[in-house]
Amino acid sequence: MSRRMRIFLALFPVWSVFLGLALSGAMLLLLNLNPFYVYGRMVTYAFRDMYNFADIFAKAAPLILTGLAFGFAFRAFLFNIGAQGQFYIGCLATVSCALYLDTLPGIILLPLCFAASALAAGAWGSLIGFAKARFGANEFLISLMSTYVAVAIMNYLIRGPLIESKGEYPQTDVIAPQAIIPKLIPHTRLHWGFVVALLVAALAWFILWKTTLGFQIRAVGMNKDSARYAGIREKRIFVLVFLISGAFAGLAGFMEVNGIQHMLVQGFNPYIGAEGIGIAILGNAHPAGIVLAAILFGALKVGGNMVVQTSPVPSSIIGIMEGFVMLSVIFSYYLRRRIIHSLEKKRLRREEKEEQP
Amino acid sequence: MIIESILANTVMMSTPLMIGALAEVFVERTGVMNIAIEGTFLIGAWAGFVGTYMTGSLVLGLVSAVLAGLLTGALYGYITVYLKQHQIVTGTAINILAPGLALYLYRVFFGVPLLPLQVDLLPTIAIPVLSDLPVVGKAFFNQNILTYLAFALIAAGFWVLFRTRTGLILRSTGANPEAVDAAGINVERVRFGTVLFSSAMDGLAGAFYSLGFLGLFTENIIGGRGWIAFAICFLGNWNPAGVLVGALVFGLADALSIVIRTSGVVAIPNEFVIAFPYIVTIIATIARRRFNVPAYLGISYVKEGR
Repeated sequence: MSRRMRIFLALFPVWSVFLGLALSGAMLLLLNLNPFYVYGRMVTYAFRDMYNFADIFAKAAPLILTGLAFGFAFRAFLFNIGAQGQFYIGCLATVSCALYLDTLPGIILLPLCFAASALAAGAWGSLIGFAKARFGANEFLISLMSTYVAVAIMNYLIRGPLIESKGEYPQTDVIAPQAIIPKLIPHTRLHWGFVVALLVAALAWFILWKTTLGFQIRAVGMNKDSARYAGIREKRIFVLVFLISGAFAGLAGFMEVNGIQHMLVQGFNPYIGAEGIGIAILGNAHPAGIVLAAILFGALKVGGNMVVQTSPVPSSIIGIMEGFVMLSVIFSYYLRRRIIHSLEKKRLRREEKEEQP
Repeated sequence: MIIESILANTVMMSTPLMIGALAEVFVERTGVMNIAIEGTFLIGAWAGFVGTYMTGSLVLGLVSAVLAGLLTGALYGYITVYLKQHQIVTGTAINILAPGLALYLYRVFFGVPLLPLQVDLLPTIAIPVLSDLPVVGKAFFNQNILTYLAFALIAAGFWVLFRTRTGLILRSTGANPEAVDAAGINVERVRFGTVLFSSAMDGLAGAFYSLGFLGLFTENIIGGRGWIAFAICFLGNWNPAGVLVGALVFGLADALSIVIRTSGVVAIPNEFVIAFPYIVTIIATIARRRFNVPAYLGISYVKEGR
């Protein structure tokens, strides 16, 4: 395969992003909106000033983590589609920490919130892995259902013990100032959590490709049976993968609560789990790809929100863009495979001919 | 009195679950999981509402719901069956796209109405004499057309699946696609056709929420009930009879939650009642030891030598 061909194929996800945006652009025509104008506005808004530009990365931080939550488990060919619930459990843990321990100094409180969100959500997630390991239960179904249970727990706590002191709306009080993640760039919403998310992505990469555990995880993902014959205890892997995956999703809660919202509002961010799945697929379940895909989704959100606020474009266009981008990425994986396949065939045929005098 | 009302609500709320879960049984028996079920429910609810509102006819509304389900199924089936892409991934993409698309097109059709637009509900059809029976009369013989259809579909589904040649082909496609292929039957066509059929039924099930229950369309009108139907298919052991039992159990949970919310009995927090069906599903998934999983569920069929 020529070098140019290889680069062309490697950039397939990028082409498919453009295809997805083109399809969404066609939808804009239905409302008599000019897609070029709308996309032009989106780009100008997203890059107009430091505040919006930094917001892309602020939005990307939790998306990196829910993307990792799906992508990490996917490497073991396990389906954690309960990241939404794990995210809420993480939110509850960190906001409880921040509200009840508000007398502690930030240097202790922030790491505590960080640990609480990761541990609580990790424990919640590991129950799914345990159910699979111990009872052979279907992890797809259980992780799916666990989200609805987590939502109910969150609604109960937010209407009850955690409700704001005014007791008016289903939301918590604002957390203490020292529990807020410090800003990375002043006068924007971008906080150090983005750097932490990058470090977590690096950690995921390190675990997967540089440790024995990671090797075992990938071995189970490629072929469960041969992994078992090779002496890998797959049940242990199920629990550990869901523990780590859940912890990633929980940390997304830490980012959102301590970094952006500074409180917990009932039912906020209801699509962060599903978006994580999209991001993991777009990024080919590789941590580096996930970071780039999350930044893209962050940009779609920032640009999209600004356009929605300043023009008659409805906010549902953001979901449409995300959905179409995902579908065209899936399509591009098919196309890329086909192209590689036919190139391979051609090469074999050529070699065959050369061998015969 | 209260028992009669709970029973009637149970049967009503189990209707779409029966239709959706039965559809899922059919498609999974051929080896394809329809992960897009939640999104297809929503598209059906939307299309049913829009069709009815635009034409003023509930029949045309139901027809548009079926057609919209069919279209969604064509997309999902094409990508998963013919392009052989991952079912969970493709389904998730459609489930993300569906709410955006439904809300956006609602806006295209109706702009931003000040009050939510409403349509008349599907009329209940009282069956003479039987609907006057004590306790069970209201529940089983005074419902809308979709409820009667759901029971008929369960019976017909059971018969087709286990007593006909078509059913044998469907089941074999999920259990042993090579054998089906060797018998000269096109595996991909069987799977694609079943995806279309089940998605059309999902569209109809979704329309129950907009046309048979609320009379309007909102973003969270389905609220995870497509997933419940998906789970009932598992718990019902891929059998229409199991679907009937499962749908009634979850319908009961839905009905209890309605009764508790409206009667103001706050002995149990409402959240627990809402979470109850999901907890039941988790426990049942764990407790159920002997599953009858179609052997090739979720695995694309690739002919050798291609």
